[in-house]
Amino acid sequence: MTIKIAQLSCGTEYSSVQYEIEKAARSVGATIVYPDVSAADIDKAVADFGFKPRSPQLKLMIARAEALASGRYEADAVFITTCFRCAEAALVRNELRRYIQEHTNLPVVTYSFTERLKASQLLTRMEALVTIVTRKELLARERQTGLTVGLDSGSSTTKAVVMENNKIIGKDWTPSGAVVIESATQVLNNALEQAGVTLDQIEAIGTTGYGRFTLGEHFKAKLVQEELTVNSKGAVWLANRQKGEATIIDIGGMDNKAITVRDGIPDNFTMGGICAGASGRFLQMTSNRLKIDITELGKLADKGDWRNAKMNSYCSVFGIQDLVTTLGEGKKFEDVACAACHSVAEQVYEQQLQEIDVRHPIIQVGGTSLISGLVTQIGEVLGEQPIVPPDSQYIGAVGGALLSSGFL
Amino acid sequence: MSEERETRLYMISPRSMLTPDQLVRMVHAFGDKALVKETCYGCLVEAPRSENLAILAKVREEYPNEVFSKIRAYRCSDPRRCRAQHGTRPGFAQLEEEWALLAKIQYGLDQVEKGAKYKPLDDKKRLDVNAFKKICEVQ
Amino acid sequence: MKIFIDPPNSLVLFDLVERFGHEPLSTMAAIQERVDNLEVDMPPMNVTLDDVVKGLKYAGIEVPSGVRGRLALWGPLIEEADAAIVMEDCPYSFGCVGCERSNLMVKYLIHRRGIPTLMVKYPETDEEAVNFVAQAKEWMEGLK
Repeated sequence: MTIKIAQLSCGTEYSSVQYEIEKAARSVGATIVYPDVSAADIDKAVADFGFKPRSPQLKLMIARAEALASGRYEADAVFITTCFRCAEAALVRNELRRYIQEHTNLPVVTYSFTERLKASQLLTRMEALVTIVTRKELLARERQTGLTVGLDSGSSTTKAVVMENNKIIGKDWTPSGAVVIESATQVLNNALEQAGVTLDQIEAIGTTGYGRFTLGEHFKAKLVQEELTVNSKGAVWLANRQKGEATIIDIGGMDNKAITVRDGIPDNFTMGGICAGASGRFLQMTSNRLKIDITELGKLADKGDWRNAKMNSYCSVFGIQDLVTTLGEGKKFEDVACAACHSVAEQVYEQQLQEIDVRHPIIQVGGTSLISGLVTQIGEVLGEQPIVPPDSQYIGAVGGALLSSGFL
Repeated sequence: MSEERETRLYMISPRSMLTPDQLVRMVHAFGDKALVKETCYGCLVEAPRSENLAILAKVREEYPNEVFSKIRAYRCSDPRRCRAQHGTRPGFAQLEEEWALLAKIQYGLDQVEKGAKYKPLDDKKRLDVNAFKKICEVQ
Repeated sequence: MKIFIDPPNSLVLFDLVERFGHEPLSTMAAIQERVDNLEVDMPPMNVTLDDVVKGLKYAGIEVPSGVRGRLALWGPLIEEADAAIVMEDCPYSFGCVGCERSNLMVKYLIHRRGIPTLMVKYPETDEEAVNFVAQAKEWMEGLK
């Protein structure tokens, strides 16, 4: 079955990125389609929608969204994308995302591109769209059964979890090395030892994260799946929030994810960060500069006040400049640590959370959720303290173990 | 240069009684090397440029003011622009709108042929504020 | 003479320019050049990263890529043109003319070149269409 992803866009063909979008879709077994509309539909759809952009292509986007919402055109998922730095398009993009979600059950992803966009950057997003469409039943799975393993090969750390009958019986993590198989083998062996089982007893393995394909092949995994859907399953399982709505925030080592779920199934997500500034990487750089271990950063930050040392982590280069300047000014370490956490929280709010409608509760996961100062700052920026479930750094591995048990 | 591939789109004005089928038959009669594809609005003709220009001259001679044409970047049925592959491309809506305008342009060409001349029109001026005030007062 | 048409993909303007004895410079020609290039495989239009980068000649890096990509197509045509015909207030402008910012910039680039330019209003009625055709014809005959 080929999944039809409806593209609502402006500027892709003139930015040399249309080919990359289609390539990413093809590589996950999907095809890009444009909902058919006539000239008369466009005027009516724009009038009904109520936002009248000056750019005609944006009007066409609105008409195409209306064709999907009314059911006149059928597709399985929606990809809304416009040029980065175009204010008019950014307004339309976000409002159309909201409109599609209000009027359809289709999974949606939005993206603002530059001319440098490559298919690989879209791969995880496209794969997640396809997973949500094709694996609805698997994603609805709430209990882990049998004896399974989840491996999460992330950009910063590699994690392994062994689960048996809906319980974690072994787990380990390590910083990701140059060879993903080596890091994974190490954490897997430790987790197996802790669980008191051997690899040949394992009934199924699920892999996720950047190294998922390599690990999937090496360990003959039954499930090889992108981290957006896998992490969200792990998060709701760990937080025991399988029913109802939630927003999952995962500030990763290289990019951030914000995922909304309904009854444990993701329906909208954003992933990104213009650069590493707004991610865990910036906090690692801050720790290095302060000559403390990353595990101490959170407690230190909780003692400080970010207002005393303003910092902007929009870009990691400028962020480090701010860091150097504030330290040079003799600011207190705790204030600097707090400012770094606050800055990352602000960026997540300004970038990721503007592209989804936040649903409550907010569940914060991933390795960075162990940095208490960051969780505090996310709470301060959002006006609501996030839930951090136990073993929150193992979401990907838990999701992998949980979902792979669906293949038994 | 004259042997370069040229794909030309012919569109019949909605005011015309001509059908795409009639137009296609006429084009076939003049163009030996032309690939002709009938469309809902007229036809697409693909031929070396020199031949295309000869066909265009004939079309203008036979149906002077009711058939319009422009070149098309893509070859006939190019999968990159084919509607069957992805659904309509953005330019489709533009063609629909321009098709409706052709009725007026046909009328304009007919009248100009009969000797109509350009008459500069007065720019619409905004209502004088005093005049507007008076209207408001009357209300 | 070579006449740049704006909207650059307009059937009506392309037809009239050719009908009244001039060579229209249009988007279609610029795109044909690209889609016929078999060495490039960037469907659907073969507008490449190089094109978008070349667009920096007309607009800075802070301008969205879609604007620069479009200007990379039209800029050279405007530079090549001897004259230009611009239809204002078009109700239609999709596809390559879908970005209003790019459209504004095209009009400005034409103005900056200082070539003879006819600005015409989109005809709403039969009478306006007569005036439009007559004006375009007289102007183009005057260019010869």
